[in-house]
Amino acid sequence: MAETATSTVAFAFEVAPAIAILPLASFVIALFAGKYLPKRGALAGITATGGSLLLSLWVMLTVAGGAYYNEEIYTLVSTPDSFDLHFGLLLDPLSALMLVIVSLVAFLVHLFSLGYMNDEGEPGLPRYYAGLGLFTFSMLSFVLSDNLFMSFVFFELVGLCSWLLIGHWYREDAPPSAAKKAFLVTRFGDYFFLVGVVAIFATFGTATFAGAESFPTLAEEALAGSGGAGGELPTFGLSAQGWFTVLGLLVLGGVLGKSAQFPLHTWLPDAMEGPTPVSALIHAATMVAAGVYLVARMYGFYALSPTALAIVAFVGGFTALFAASMAVVKRDVKQVLAYSTISQYGYMMLGLGAGGYVAAVFHLMTHAFFKALLFLGAGAVIIAMHHRQDMWEMGGLKNKLPVTYYTFLAGSLALAGIVPFAGFWSKDEVLYEALVHGLNDPLLLAAYLMGLTAVFFTGFYTFRMVLLTFHGEPRTHTARNPHSLGWSVKTPLVVLGILATVIGLANMTPIAEATGLEIEFLHTWLEHGLEGVNSEHYGEVLETVAGYSAAELSPLLAAVFSLSLALAGAGLAYRLYSGDRPEHHTDRLGAAKRLLTDNYYQDEYQVWIAQTLGTGVARASDRFDQGVVDGVVNGVSSVSLFSGDRVRRVQTGIVSNYATLLTLGLVALLVGVGLAGGWFL
Amino acid sequence: MAGLTLPVLQTAPPISDWVAVAPVLLLGLTALALFVVDSIDPDSSNSAALAGTAAAGTLLALVATLLLLAGGVGQGQGGALRLYGGQLIIDGMALFFTVIFTSVATLVIVASYDYLRDRVYQAEYYMLMLLAATGMALMAAAGSLATVFVSLELASLPSYALVAFMKDNRGSVEAGLKYFLIGALSSAIFAYGISLVYGVTGQLGLEAIAQQLSGGTQLVGVLGVGVLMVAGGFAFKTASVPFHFWAPEAYEGAPAPVSAFLSSASKAAGFVVAFRVFAVAFSPEAVAQSVDWTLAFWLLAAVTMTVGNFAAATQDKVKRMLAYSSVGHAGYVLIGLAALGGGQDGLVLGASMLHLLVYGFMNTGAFLFVALAEYWEVGRTFEDYNGLGQQAPIACVAMSVFMLSLAGIPVGGGFMSKYFILIGAVGTGHFVLAALLLVNSALSLYYYSRVLRALWVEDSDGSVAIEGYPLGLYAAVVGAAIVTFLLLPGVFLASDVATAAASALFA
Repeated sequence: MAETATSTVAFAFEVAPAIAILPLASFVIALFAGKYLPKRGALAGITATGGSLLLSLWVMLTVAGGAYYNEEIYTLVSTPDSFDLHFGLLLDPLSALMLVIVSLVAFLVHLFSLGYMNDEGEPGLPRYYAGLGLFTFSMLSFVLSDNLFMSFVFFELVGLCSWLLIGHWYREDAPPSAAKKAFLVTRFGDYFFLVGVVAIFATFGTATFAGAESFPTLAEEALAGSGGAGGELPTFGLSAQGWFTVLGLLVLGGVLGKSAQFPLHTWLPDAMEGPTPVSALIHAATMVAAGVYLVARMYGFYALSPTALAIVAFVGGFTALFAASMAVVKRDVKQVLAYSTISQYGYMMLGLGAGGYVAAVFHLMTHAFFKALLFLGAGAVIIAMHHRQDMWEMGGLKNKLPVTYYTFLAGSLALAGIVPFAGFWSKDEVLYEALVHGLNDPLLLAAYLMGLTAVFFTGFYTFRMVLLTFHGEPRTHTARNPHSLGWSVKTPLVVLGILATVIGLANMTPIAEATGLEIEFLHTWLEHGLEGVNSEHYGEVLETVAGYSAAELSPLLAAVFSLSLALAGAGLAYRLYSGDRPEHHTDRLGAAKRLLTDNYYQDEYQVWIAQTLGTGVARASDRFDQGVVDGVVNGVSSVSLFSGDRVRRVQTGIVSNYATLLTLGLVALLVGVGLAGGWFL
Repeated sequence: MAGLTLPVLQTAPPISDWVAVAPVLLLGLTALALFVVDSIDPDSSNSAALAGTAAAGTLLALVATLLLLAGGVGQGQGGALRLYGGQLIIDGMALFFTVIFTSVATLVIVASYDYLRDRVYQAEYYMLMLLAATGMALMAAAGSLATVFVSLELASLPSYALVAFMKDNRGSVEAGLKYFLIGALSSAIFAYGISLVYGVTGQLGLEAIAQQLSGGTQLVGVLGVGVLMVAGGFAFKTASVPFHFWAPEAYEGAPAPVSAFLSSASKAAGFVVAFRVFAVAFSPEAVAQSVDWTLAFWLLAAVTMTVGNFAAATQDKVKRMLAYSSVGHAGYVLIGLAALGGGQDGLVLGASMLHLLVYGFMNTGAFLFVALAEYWEVGRTFEDYNGLGQQAPIACVAMSVFMLSLAGIPVGGGFMSKYFILIGAVGTGHFVLAALLLVNSALSLYYYSRVLRALWVEDSDGSVAIEGYPLGLYAAVVGAAIVTFLLLPGVFLASDVATAAASALFA
């Protein structure tokens, strides 16, 4: 029996690469054979992601059995003394959980696309499904990565796919521009990430995440001064901890770009120009999650640097509030969701920075489900509204689209953090972690207060959105006669609606505290895993190295506090917008509304920086290239030709000249070498 | 080249002397056979028979050399074979270079069959070429300064006559005379150098000189002048600055196949004898304290590659450009000598040997393409080659391979061999030479690509019509191109042989 069990485990891990390869196959099929297939590649994508989902579940079950996997599978470059670049798999509770999330959402998005893209007769479907397949492949490979180099490769590939998919309707004006913006802004962050990867290689000689020779372990040994291989690392003139902070912040550059954190968040709202299922896949559940996942993946490294953690937490808290405030005034349903996404990722960063690793992963999981649900729900509304997205043109859709309404409502309750929906448990735990650690650290406390304030805004904008869309009297003709929805649209909504409602029960910390029951399943799940990459170890490191300490506080109290704020926000929205004919109450904000609608002029100042600084640098580079580089090249060539001409003239054709020059040359050589050798002394 | 794949035996089987020198004997006997034929029938116009006999001789010599090389003769644990009291030394290096000479001679003879159509004195032509090849093979095996001098003259004297072969062509005769005069001057310097070395050591055998010098000498200045004058003699043969003045004139004036032969085989012969004399007789360990000849070669390498490439860049005629580029390549190979004593002797010398091997094919091929152009009478300048790619695509593809390989683009073995030289220079700390090598290679790309541009990009002015596709010339050009190309993947095979042969000198 035991042998059978071992071989099943081994087999599960053997086939794990197929999780990523299946969507790659669907990419190839959709790209080359898509136009001959009945659904233009949709079925291949659904089959592939369905297969990935089943395999991911199998891997998850295997991991639950206590087996982990951390192996190199393909070496690109190997240098014996310095470092090697390889692809490998790391399968542990974190990656297994993420694999299930990504493949599930990808599967549902493929299914939804049947209704959103195929039924609407959109052009370029093979290209669309190829993009989805490649995207899913990249994201799954990113999750599977066992080292930072491989992560970087797929991180970039994910960025490329988002460019392809956001710009899907490339004949219109806005999508190509939004795609370019997404690409450039995330790329700006990725520069730092790339430098960070190289610096990590230079420092540790390895970039693997887990194991005795992994860089978090080496860094930890270096700080503990326990000798070992980590004893004498190059730290480039800084203290070891200072240098690790620099490394962590460099990688964080990529994270801020991908996870749309301030100040690199500006691309995400524009990216809503892509098809709505793409928004669900890329900008809610997976690609944006890549940044946060990366921090979680190398959390053992961040936990060594309290400075990096504080910056992560502060940026997260600030982004949560900042984005939530902008969501309040948006008219476009997808824009509201876009800003709420930024805000929610801010919470995850806050959780990670505050030492709440489990809380952040928990929120990552619940958010993936309820935000995918909200985007798909919005997609359903958009189908029904014949591709209109302005909430002021909707209203009263509740009775016409009951399935959409109830699932969307479940998602909204989760987003707003109303008990017992998923978002309540996870957001509350993030805030709780921030609070208990923040009581000993003013910076964390400030981050916590921003996060807490954002809860109120979240409740408000979420219910403003629900009320404007579904309640009241229909405000336009389209809203009175919405388009009907097919099963391929409703099924994903129902699946996600159930998940958004119940997934939070996986980790009911306040209840567990109050009753003493062992029901914090996610805590238990993440506590296991390979040595050095589990939450138990992170907790120790946080305490011993980063000096985090938790204050004694009941989670119930904090939960009641944040819940009442969320309810207050929701209640305010209900008071203002629940009537049959709601008014534009945000107009009363006056100049503040302008500021919020214009996103605090973030785009303007970034464009200004790009135009003045960017163009200036580009112009200076151009001048350098034209003047110095080309000048040197031209100079060299004219000098060469000129001196070549001189050399040519020496060749007079008169043989006695040659004999003279030959003899003189020999004499010069004799004198030169002789003097150097001291023969004539 | 398939013979090289055979395993090298650890101890060579005992063989008679005449077997070990079989390649030299084959070359010499073929020359004599042609002499007999010519004596019996001086007016023979059966050029096929003459060229066939000559080519058969060089091919047999090539096969014999490859067999000896594969059989491990003079290599491995048995060490070099010393014949006739050490006057001749048969070892890996001698055989390696004999492969170059016989290969080049075969290509050139095959090409000459077409080039010499309707000319008189063909038997003499082939005979002279075989005698020169005999001299070169002897140079590769020379074990004392006396043998070195005699074999060098044996290689040189037929060359003068070959350059002046076209007696009714003023350029050819003038070039021959200039070559002879400069050659005479260089031989005088060389002989004087030998006499000075003999005066200091009292020995002519290379190993004997090394033994004598290892005990130190009082006459450092005399020895130094002698060593540098010997170096001058080799510089003449390899067309290194400032002994290069004959080269552009001779290569341009000579029949193109002769230019190919001189610039590839004769240059390699000059280098092999320089390698042996300087590595064995004046080995860096023995004389480094007194006479730092690596400095002299450092200077020669730097000046030679720079002058050669800069002059090549301003030429209008393809053949003259190739002549100067040949000077430049001598500079690259000299790096191998300049970098001796840096702790990686076997590697750097092996890299130079490898470059000479690849150069033997790519440069011969390039000159033979010029021979083809002369055969077609299309003219000599770059412009005259315009649009040839349309009319003779196969030959022009071959020429493109030669040009790119000469420039060091990975289309042929030239890339790898130059790369090995670069590694050797960097590995021994000669960064200036390495930088000069890179700069000059970049410059060389300019003038080599001018040929490609003329062949493929520019349009012909329509005045030239190609008559015929001569089989012999085509076979030689295409054959050289194929070997040049195959040396790119096959370079590691050859480099093992070259490095082993070079390392054996220092064992």
